[in-house]
Amino acid sequence: MRTIPGPLFFRLSDALDLPVFFKGMEKSFTFQAQPVRKETLDWFDTFDWKAWSRKSAIVRSGSRLAILDMKSGHELCGAPVRKRPRSFFPNDIDDKKTASRLLGISKLRAFILYGSVETETRKWRILDENRKTVASIELLSLPGKKDGKRQLFMKLSPVRGYGKELETVAGHLKQYPDHSEKITCLDYHKEILTAAGITPASYSSKPSVKLKPGDTIQDSARKLLLPTLGVLYANEKWISKNIDTEFLHDYRVAVRRTRSILAQLKGIFPPEELSRYKKVFRELGKRTGNLRDLDVYLLQADRFRNLLPGTMRDSLDTFFTDLGNRHKKELKSLNRYLGSEKHTRLMREWEAFLRSEMPSDPDITPKAGTKTSDVAVSTIRKAWKKVIRHGREISGTATDTERHTMRIECKKLRYLLEFYASILPAKNLQTVVRQLKTLQDNLGTFVDLSVQQGYLNNYLSRLEPGADNISSAASIGGLVTALYHERENVRMNFHNTFDTFDTPETEALFNELLNKHR
Amino acid sequence: MKTIALYSIKGGVGKTASAVNLAYLSSLGEPPTLICDLDPQGASSFYFRIVPNKKYSSRKFLKGNKKIYDNIKGTDYENLDLLPSDFSYRNLDIELLEEKKPQKKLRKNIQELSTEYPFIFFDCPPNLTLLSESVFVASDIVLVPLIPTTLSLRTFDQLVGFFKESRLDTSKIRGFFTMYERRKAMHREIIEEYSGKKRFLKRIIPYNSEVEKMGIYRAPLNAVRPHAPASMAYQELWEELRGEIKQ
Ligand SMILES: Nc1ncnc2c1ncn2[C@@H]1O[C@H](COP(=O)(O)OP(=O)(O)OP(=O)(O)O)[C@@H](O)[C@H]1O
Ligand SMILES: [Mg+2]
Repeated sequence: MRTIPGPLFFRLSDALDLPVFFKGMEKSFTFQAQPVRKETLDWFDTFDWKAWSRKSAIVRSGSRLAILDMKSGHELCGAPVRKRPRSFFPNDIDDKKTASRLLGISKLRAFILYGSVETETRKWRILDENRKTVASIELLSLPGKKDGKRQLFMKLSPVRGYGKELETVAGHLKQYPDHSEKITCLDYHKEILTAAGITPASYSSKPSVKLKPGDTIQDSARKLLLPTLGVLYANEKWISKNIDTEFLHDYRVAVRRTRSILAQLKGIFPPEELSRYKKVFRELGKRTGNLRDLDVYLLQADRFRNLLPGTMRDSLDTFFTDLGNRHKKELKSLNRYLGSEKHTRLMREWEAFLRSEMPSDPDITPKAGTKTSDVAVSTIRKAWKKVIRHGREISGTATDTERHTMRIECKKLRYLLEFYASILPAKNLQTVVRQLKTLQDNLGTFVDLSVQQGYLNNYLSRLEPGADNISSAASIGGLVTALYHERENVRMNFHNTFDTFDTPETEALFNELLNKHR
Repeated sequence: MKTIALYSIKGGVGKTASAVNLAYLSSLGEPPTLICDLDPQGASSFYFRIVPNKKYSSRKFLKGNKKIYDNIKGTDYENLDLLPSDFSYRNLDIELLEEKKPQKKLRKNIQELSTEYPFIFFDCPPNLTLLSESVFVASDIVLVPLIPTTLSLRTFDQLVGFFKESRLDTSKIRGFFTMYERRKAMHREIIEEYSGKKRFLKRIIPYNSEVEKMGIYRAPLNAVRPHAPASMAYQELWEELRGEIKQ
């Protein structure tokens, strides 16, 4: 089926005198002016620019929030909103269609107000001899860039079935090439973004770094660590605002990645500094751990509720209120630390250290000059062997701690594969990572469910005995049971999952992956 | 997609007025909506100030899907489109005779539109013809306006009888009363007896001279005079119908 043509856009120089312009047009059209519309447009996106990356605009104007496709100009959906939110989650939106579209853009992230712009729109309907609307013209004016002069844009919207009429109007505009320049719908929206003071950037919690196999590992390590520090900086200021859980999550991932690189750097970075910064980042990991756990419980609130029969759900309220209060406390103490002079100094020193010339003294850093590819191959091989060896040893009754260790080993292997991705054959890597991810998911779920049961049991044991807490205790008990059953299912699946990872084919893939640099 | 035909064997009973207003209401709640003017007199096209493209004809209409698609026009209301009729539609009956399965023709012809429009309305010409039969097959609901008179009820029974004879699904048929005047005893008695009964909707459209002015406004009454008695009645009628469709 044919698609209906979208609107046309033009940039205008203010010299274009519109009344005169209209007079010059075909007699049979009349122009009917509509009331002038002044509005403030608020633009939203997630911290990682998920809406921008799919060229969707999330715009509030008045009491309405709309999602637009910036390439066609079509409104995809819209919903009423109260007040002027500074940020919101999909589930805060009342309209189902809009909420689900927002969820499609990002599941966990909040939509943050990135900027606003005052617009003024004048609109005319173009009528034919029957006074039927055959097209409409809108003149949008935006605050100017520097000189304060407002910028003018024209949007020419067709009405279905009146393509010829639209062409006539557009053709007329062509007679004024000095005054109008045709632009794309996307450019038009970019202009509005710019006027709102927004410059979409890219953000990735895992910045991709291009390494060279022949570079020294000392250089490559620094190349990897600096952008990871960038991720720390980027998220740090947002954690305290408590807008969504992903700032802390990404922060923690960056801490773990830093630590796992540091763990490979014996003999490559000077030992004193190495041990110092290992401590710094271990500390950061510890200080952020509790808050992350609480985030996870709170994110799971609905799931937890739904695990219980309807009648038992309300008794979980106190539990979650309690979690909420602890969350507040933890956040406060973390904020205090992240805002402390000590932390700021440590991060500056770390940055300075990474940027400084490092000693090439063979006594202090004997392995600093090793080729990156050599280190990649040997560390990945070691980590992989460890995962295999450990996985084979895990029996059906393996303790939670054993699985926890195994999970960490998988994570290490995963990070290594990601660090050295730029020097490994992409296709093999993709397959290997996919298989590893399935294994990680199994272990991750298992460990999470164990930790959650532990937490709940602990909470239960600290509940005051007495009639007040009976229903709470019953609900928590029910939850522990439900989580237990879930975990046992995951436990049984481990061997299947591991067996699909521990195959001659995967081994061959790994060898191929690593042999590239032999 | 749901298809609703405004149909009656009798002329001048309010088919067009109802199609235009109900389609407009549908376009607000379940956008977008299409209204197909099937009457060669083109009354609903006129109400929307739309004239068909010069090359459009009943032949094109019978070719279906793409040809229909290309000739759909946007009304002045954002989510309401219209397929205008052409004077050549007066030949549709004869032309349908040449088709292999004339009764199924319309249904087949609008198939591809189903992805785009949740609701399609047909504004039908009066009389019982081959085109009507094609409309009956293509419609999920055959909505019949009745002026509350015994004669109207008689033709309504004739329609049900025809459905039975032709093995059509009689549950598609829905009657509703319109141009109701309380001061008329016959109107009151008939409404009393039939409204809300089997095959009849509860909501009644009163006689309201504002409806006649639609020819001057050239717009749905619900768009320009939403608080006119007939507009409010159409609003309620649409809600009743929506409720039935949802079930
Ligand atoms: N509720 C109403 N109150 C007053 N007048 C009405 C009402 N409904 C329709 N009319 C008027 O009755 C006349 C016939 O209505 P309409 O054209 O809708 O009927 P129709 O069934 O489509 O006619 P046709 O069979 O000629 O297509 C029109 O002049 C219309 O304005
Ligand atoms: Mg009519």
